[in-house]
Parts: sequence; C-alpha cells; structure tokens
Amino acid sequence: MSNASETLARLLASEIRGDLLVLFHRNPGLIDTLDGVARRIGRTAATIEQDVNDLINLGVLKTRVFGKSQALLLDRERDREILETVAAHIKDTREGETL
Amino acid sequence: MSISGGKTSHSEFGQLLGGRVGEGARVKTGIMELDEMLRGGFMEGDAVLLAGSAGTGKTTLALQYLVTGITRFGEPGIYVTFEELPDQIYRDAKNFGWDLRSLEEANKFKLVCTSPNLLLESGTQTILDEVIKELPAKRIAIDSLSHLAMYVQENQLRQEAYRLVRHLKTRELSSLLLWEVNQTGGSSFSVTEIGLSFLVDCIVVLKQIEIESSLRKAILIQKMRGSDHDKRLREFEITPGGFKIESAFSEYEGLMTGSARKVASEKFVELFRGASGKTKSR
Repeated sequence: MSNASETLARLLASEIRGDLLVLFHRNPGLIDTLDGVARRIGRTAATIEQDVNDLINLGVLKTRVFGKSQALLLDRERDREILETVAAHIKDTREGETL
Repeated sequence: MSISGGKTSHSEFGQLLGGRVGEGARVKTGIMELDEMLRGGFMEGDAVLLAGSAGTGKTTLALQYLVTGITRFGEPGIYVTFEELPDQIYRDAKNFGWDLRSLEEANKFKLVCTSPNLLLESGTQTILDEVIKELPAKRIAIDSLSHLAMYVQENQLRQEAYRLVRHLKTRELSSLLLWEVNQTGGSSFSVTEIGLSFLVDCIVVLKQIEIESSLRKAILIQKMRGSDHDKRLREFEITPGGFKIESAFSEYEGLMTGSARKVASEKFVELFRGASGKTKSR
C-alpha cells in the first residue's frame, strides 16, 4: 500500500476521526483542550483520545501548552500537504480506473 | 530621551509609552449614532462591557465593531468565541455582508474558538499572546464573559475577570466583553450581580422593551469612565447592513423597569388631540 493510500486509510479509520477532521477544517481557528474538542463533537475526552493521538501522529493536529493546559489545534501547513497528497492519490486512482 | 534634573517630562513619558498618555484617543465603532452617543467613540484601550439578554444583538454589534475597525480605520481585530463555532459566525456575518474569511486570509482578522479555562491559563505564553504574535490587533471582542462563570467558582469570577481585563489592557487592546444578562422585567436593573461593572471602563446595555404590546430594542450607555456620554435610552434596529440607531424614547418613561408608560405631557397632548378632533367633527 502506498504512503498516500495508507494516510487516507488512517484519516478515515473511524467515525470520530471523520468528525474531528470536519470540526477542525470548518473551524481552523479552533484552539481547545481535549475535553473542549470532545464536547464540540458531542463526545467525551476518553472516547476521542486515541483518534486525536493518531491525528497528531499524522501531523494534522498539533499541540501547544498554555500554562498547565495542553491545547489542540490544526497544523495548517502540514494539513495542507497531507490534503494535497491525498487529493493527488485519489486523482491518480480514478485515472487508473478509467484507463 | 532627555532626562533633566532626574525627572522625565510628561511628553517624554508619552513617547516612552507610545504616545498614549493623556491623548484620550477614540476608537470609533463606525456606527455614526453610537459614536455620537459615545462623544466620538470608545476611549482607546478601554474595556467595554456589552451587556444584553439573548437575541438583543450583542454578537452583531461586536462583529460590526471589528469589521468596521478593519475596513474603515485599518485596525486589525480578534474575535474570541467560547460557545458558538466559527463556521456559524462566518455564515451569520456573511448575512450582513461581512466576509470574515477574506479578512482572515488578508491577515486583518482572526476568529479564535476556545474554552474559557484555556484563555485564563497564565504562563510564559498565553493563548492571546500566541494570536497577537500573528496578528497585531488593536481591537478584540470576547464572546462571552458569562461563559467564564461555567469554569471558575463564583467567588473567583470577579478576580479572573479582572485578570483578563488587565491582560487585555497591558496588550493595549480596545476590548468589547460580551455579557449575557437575564432580561429584567421587574423593578430593578443591574448589569451583573458579581460586580463586573467596577472592573470595566464603559458599559453598553442592549435591552428588549415592551411598548404597547410590541417588543422593541433599546441601547443605553450606562457608564463611561472619563467621558461624557448620551444618557438617553435610544431605539435601535438590526438591519441587513448591521446596527441602526434611532431616536430616544422621549415619549415614554419607566422603560428600564419593564413598565413603560407615556410621559404625562404626551398623555396631555393625546387628550388634547382627541378633544380637538371631537370639537372639529361637531
């Protein structure tokens, strides 16, 4: 499996991950705690923690520490790179199918 | 800077502090009638409490203050929201013709969505420092201070609000702090019950009032430290272009207490008109 298809599979691995991607893409100015992010998608911190960690590992999200709290935010540059890679991969796959 | 006799002159201190001492510069809202009520606008660097019940137009006024600041006065602005998500604010603002996304792309505006506890975190770098580093803003709106109450104990709320106000002031931001109040229909009217009124420099109240069985909106400058201001309650409407402030409710009294009635002279005029009409019809 190519890097791009692996990334795409990881991005869409769960419904929670999908909800998180939609939340941060629609609201790129969101800077919130794990608990705050969870509340905004109607879930609890414990249920989203694993997916958040995966998105951090992928580079979509990043963390910042303010005082005693850790905040989550969209890594706009890295996110753009990932989206471009995935978009190019989808385009290649579609073109391959039509040939 | 020249120091003569060990003392620094007033004007030198002014230069040292960025020319802000004793200037009394105004921050215009861009809403002509409101600026008139404020005798030219808010005082630069002041913390303004914008209080009102749900649906009175606090968010609209705050957005208009920021958008006008950018488009007419070249002053970048930050909008901090605790509850409403940015995509909802982008959409609502667009209905008034304010394209916040374009302003963000032009690095003149920043919409920050966070939790109050994160905003209150104090470390070497705060969330506001992080935002201001990217956008040297002059104006900020925080929607709303009422949400702080959900995260701090009641006896600490005033202290935390004070810390936030001081934080904004040290960064020379002219701030609009939104505060949701319960619509008072009784005989008393207080903006906050926790003493926030003393912490801020100016209080603008938006209020829904019932007159002759219809609900109308009123704006009042309740307090303005260090400046004269319009003391009258004036009617306003939210139009497709934003706030439109009308004349004062000069024909009515008791509006703030929730029991509006015509002033005696108006009653007399009405009686006189009625009597005059009857005489003519005879």
